[in-house]
Amino acid sequence: MNSRSRYVWAYFMIAPTLIGTLVFWGWPVLQSIMLGFQQSENFGLVNHWVGFDNYVKLFRDEEFWQNLRNTLYYVVLFVPITLILSTIFAVLLNTKIKGLSIYRVIFFLPQVTMPAAAAMVWVVLFAQDFGLVNHLLGTRVAWLSNSNYAMFVLVIVGVWGAIGLNMLLILAGLQGIPKSLYEAADIDGAKRFNKFRYITIPMLTPTLFFTSIILLIGATQIFDSIFLIIGKTNVALPSVRSLVYAYYQNSFVYFNPNYGAAIINVLLLINLVLTGIQFAFQKKWVVYD
Amino acid sequence: MTEMQISSARKINWIVHIILLISAVIMLVPFVWMVLTSLKTTTEATQIPIHFFPDAPSLRGYIEAIKQSAFPHYYMNTVFTAIMKTIFPVVFSSMAAYAFARLRFPGSTILFVLIISVMMVPNPVFYTPQYMMMSDLGLVNTVTALWITSLISPFATFLLRQFFMTISKELEEAAVLDGCNPFQIYWHIMLPLVRSALVAIVIIQLQWSWNELQWPLIINSSPEKMTLSSGIATLVSMFGTDYPVLMAGAFMAVVPMIILFFIFQKQFIEGIAFSAHKG
Amino acid sequence: MAKRNKFSFMLATVFTVIALFSAACSNNSTNAPDNSPNNTAGEATDAPKKNVTLTYSIWDKIQQPAMEAIAKEFTAENPNIKIKVEVIPWGDYWTKMSAAAPSGTLPDVFWMHGGQFVKYASGNFLEPITGKVQAGEIDLNNYAADLATIYTLNGENYGVPKDFDTIGLAYNKELFDQANIPYPDDTWDYAKLAETAKQLSQPDKGIYGFGAKLDTQTGYWNDILANGGSILSSDLSKSGYDDPASIEALKARYQMILDGASPTHQQMTDTEATEMFKSGRLAMIFDGSWRISDIDSSEIIKGKWDWAKLPSGKVKRGNIINGLGNVMSAGGKNKEEAWLFLKFLGSQKAAEITAEMGAAIPAFNGTQDAWLTSRPHLNLKIFTEQVADAIPYPSGSESYPVWFAKEPEIMSQAWGGAIAVEEAAKKVAEMMNQAITEAK
Repeated sequence: MNSRSRYVWAYFMIAPTLIGTLVFWGWPVLQSIMLGFQQSENFGLVNHWVGFDNYVKLFRDEEFWQNLRNTLYYVVLFVPITLILSTIFAVLLNTKIKGLSIYRVIFFLPQVTMPAAAAMVWVVLFAQDFGLVNHLLGTRVAWLSNSNYAMFVLVIVGVWGAIGLNMLLILAGLQGIPKSLYEAADIDGAKRFNKFRYITIPMLTPTLFFTSIILLIGATQIFDSIFLIIGKTNVALPSVRSLVYAYYQNSFVYFNPNYGAAIINVLLLINLVLTGIQFAFQKKWVVYD
Repeated sequence: MTEMQISSARKINWIVHIILLISAVIMLVPFVWMVLTSLKTTTEATQIPIHFFPDAPSLRGYIEAIKQSAFPHYYMNTVFTAIMKTIFPVVFSSMAAYAFARLRFPGSTILFVLIISVMMVPNPVFYTPQYMMMSDLGLVNTVTALWITSLISPFATFLLRQFFMTISKELEEAAVLDGCNPFQIYWHIMLPLVRSALVAIVIIQLQWSWNELQWPLIINSSPEKMTLSSGIATLVSMFGTDYPVLMAGAFMAVVPMIILFFIFQKQFIEGIAFSAHKG
Repeated sequence: MAKRNKFSFMLATVFTVIALFSAACSNNSTNAPDNSPNNTAGEATDAPKKNVTLTYSIWDKIQQPAMEAIAKEFTAENPNIKIKVEVIPWGDYWTKMSAAAPSGTLPDVFWMHGGQFVKYASGNFLEPITGKVQAGEIDLNNYAADLATIYTLNGENYGVPKDFDTIGLAYNKELFDQANIPYPDDTWDYAKLAETAKQLSQPDKGIYGFGAKLDTQTGYWNDILANGGSILSSDLSKSGYDDPASIEALKARYQMILDGASPTHQQMTDTEATEMFKSGRLAMIFDGSWRISDIDSSEIIKGKWDWAKLPSGKVKRGNIINGLGNVMSAGGKNKEEAWLFLKFLGSQKAAEITAEMGAAIPAFNGTQDAWLTSRPHLNLKIFTEQVADAIPYPSGSESYPVWFAKEPEIMSQAWGGAIAVEEAAKKVAEMMNQAITEAK
């Protein structure tokens, strides 16, 4: 086939995805950036340019910095805990243990559970007077409205929902490590721990890199659990409110889509920087065969 | 192996079992509590000291939840949306992925990077502009709005491209000699070869779509245009702290996916594991 | 139906295209596609539109049965117009409406709230009914207490008054009897309320005297008014939250939580105060006349509770009267039919149905008596009697939707104990003043 007709076919085959990307994602990104420089009136039917006003207001807003800190704090807690626990479970399940498939199913169950539905149960479980958690611990802690604990509840909820998938991804990574490496180590008389330290971990780094990026992008967007578990009249809200929550409130509750757009554009920038950093540092720790 | 090594291996085995067992119980607690609470009376659900099992299991929660919300619509909309958000991305992404993997053409790298860079953008960035777009098209508060913005998937495009790149070229070359055009090669030869990856993507897409909350919450307001996710979020505003009703709603919302998962658990788990290998 | 067909048409098109290109591997395949998507393509021309379905959005699920009964009555008179009553809960209602307004998807007819009205009317999203009023199709003098003026802007009428509501003090007789304390009556003041609440509380049993909830209309706004404070200045230009009298009232309410006379804010978040009252764990609570049938549906306190007037404060007895209105969308497709329905909603007949079902106090003059007797076991006349004490809901400004959404976030900081009540009140005032300035 000549190359011209191949080009035509290629463009034809990527057309739906490309057009879709440009229309539904590319254009909205530009719009979002524009919105950040505008002020809308009358439900967004009238817009005028205001330059950097929204950003100036944003950077002067103590609440924005608090929201940013909260978001990063969540990321810093959630991503490593999820990765570590997922790795531990994956390693434990990577043995010839009995009931392996049952454990896999149970650990994966939260993944197929709608977060909105799960959130409601967590509210009941963490309730102060009649919550199961306090009952079992013999405490009377107001988990959800204590600014010291609310974030941990969100992390627990997040980790609960994320372990299943990440454990599977890591398990797959483990099973992809050539057996010959371990056999060679056995011949050398290597100890269990050393095998783990010098074979398993390095060989797992590509998987860990992949999962950590996905986890990171997801974690910066935390919204559902704050919206449903913490709620807007919670005294602990300021200490857990994320950027996306602030975006939602400003855009759809306070009728200020422009300020909302400014918030979310900052998050966009942060995500690009974080991903960039991860890629830049991957050479330092990720081992590709 | 010496006897000591065997016994220490056994001990470790036990420890592993105990850790896994305790963790599994913790993972299951929310489900158990959801079902138990849904069967209690409102007073029982908030009783002090707590009441583990309902004295006389009552279906009031389920009856109220069904009566006050549009569950049949939620189910239909969720299923329909999930199907649309699965079929289109699978077809479109696999086409594009094949082109990117195999057909060299000017601009392929740039276009590919452009498409997958969308993965790095937080979803809410799109919501307001997409909302305005839907508004211009007169699609606000319609079932169409639930899926029309998700006809394509950069993630699936990225994943499938990786798969296509691992397939040997010999098969294709033979097909070219037979006079097949690239689309025919893709459809008849390549697609069947990546069936397992397609299954993984179908599962991932189904799950994402099923669980998504923010977009349906923003775009639709009529009960009969809601999905299960936004529907049960609305239940909270409607019933406040009437927990049995909320738990009944939550249970009804999660059950279909859980049943689907139990039936297809092998495909679910292997599909995801499989995608990890190539991702 | 037509919409569903559009989807399947799209689907069919996509698959036809795929079928076309993948047909077979012979050189530039010549076989035409014989599987045309005709099963879905040929439809779409509906029969001439005679039957109309109107959407009527409301926010109170408790009133749904009454609204449906009215709709049924209307359809009986106008068989070609069907009404779909749609409940969007209060917590989501204005978010959804503000999204629907600019996209032209407001429901045909819907409940309007005084606080939100200006924003929608000034944006031209509501259909003015001035012409109909002048033509004598409807007489706005039929409605109690000047309620129609709430929905008037710059001389244009937009809304038909639906009902009005005031606030009462609900009390659990059984808990009063057990403690041998006489029931609340007209002579009560706030000091008496606080004192009795303390006496009735048994925190170890999870029973409290009063639900000092974080709430505006059924909460501290009444306290503030009774104490001589204000919510908004009368010209709507300034917040009254930082008025010393307002702050004093807020502090007094919060003090009841500190005294153990009320559950904590967290407890009332885990279980709504009204739910606690319904399960017999609260002796007293302020609640609106719209909650009557909800509270009365509780099996646990059935026959063991009643209403009293709110206590009087330092200055007077505080109360807030709010009138809901029915309005129609300016962008509706069937405005003629919508007007017929709107007119019917404002009719005596609709008011009677509302009254008899005990859904709300109807606005139509002369129908309130039917409401008073709708639940003879309850002392409902306190709600109509308190109209004289009440001030209108602090609405009527364009900034209301913004500050009203932000207010609870700030006040909850005080109710949760993170900041002092005074500080929160001042923050609210500052926020409100800013919102008022920005809306100008």
